[in-house]
Amino acid sequence: MIKITNESFDLETEFKCVSSNTNGAYSFFLGTVRSDLSSSNKKIKGIYLECYEELALVQLKKIRSKALNNWKLNECLIIHRIGKLDLGEKIVLVITASSHRANAIKACEFVIDSLKIDVAFWKFHLLDNDQKEMVLQKSLDNEKMLKWKDIIN
Amino acid sequence: MNITLKYFSWIRVKLKKSHDLIELKQNISFKELKNYLISKDPVFKEIFEDKSVKYFLNLSEIDDENQLINNGDILAFLPPVTGG
Repeated sequence: MIKITNESFDLETEFKCVSSNTNGAYSFFLGTVRSDLSSSNKKIKGIYLECYEELALVQLKKIRSKALNNWKLNECLIIHRIGKLDLGEKIVLVITASSHRANAIKACEFVIDSLKIDVAFWKFHLLDNDQKEMVLQKSLDNEKMLKWKDIIN
Repeated sequence: MNITLKYFSWIRVKLKKSHDLIELKQNISFKELKNYLISKDPVFKEIFEDKSVKYFLNLSEIDDENQLINNGDILAFLPPVTGG
């Protein structure tokens, strides 16, 4: 299941969507908006997430399919918020479900690492003066992705 | 023929618009379109010089500058992504 939404989501409700007696392990990743300083050293009051939704859905489907196949998952759920989000709000949820924990954990890490550099979302910090400041891609995120190249076909 | 250009992130901010509808007399390559856009607005020179920007034609990444652009196509300009 893949969802791009400007609505918040409930963890228990989403867990029920992937829950099954065939699963022995679930791994969760939940990303939230943290209180932070912008690149110009100003306090942020939230974020704005821009998305090219048609493309992002295609890209998320590819990532999900790779995760399902490589780690023999029973289910993989990805939800990503768009629009304006306040501090503390949920941004992204990944749940992977498998028979055993190792596959669920690895697959969950792969999905969020891929999502960071391969899906058409752009983050802006919202500043106190109502200005938006673009968030730059981190080189660390690209480096993290390199480790999956030998694992994923 | 008509094509749609979609702009995201800093490119959208820089151009002060999220999309353009372009009317052309004939099919052209991506390379020819780049030159055409630069001739219309020098901001495009800066965009095309940024090697981190990716271009997607009808949801597929362009990997050949000679790729032909056809009537009804949608070309998207994508700076490095920052989701998650």
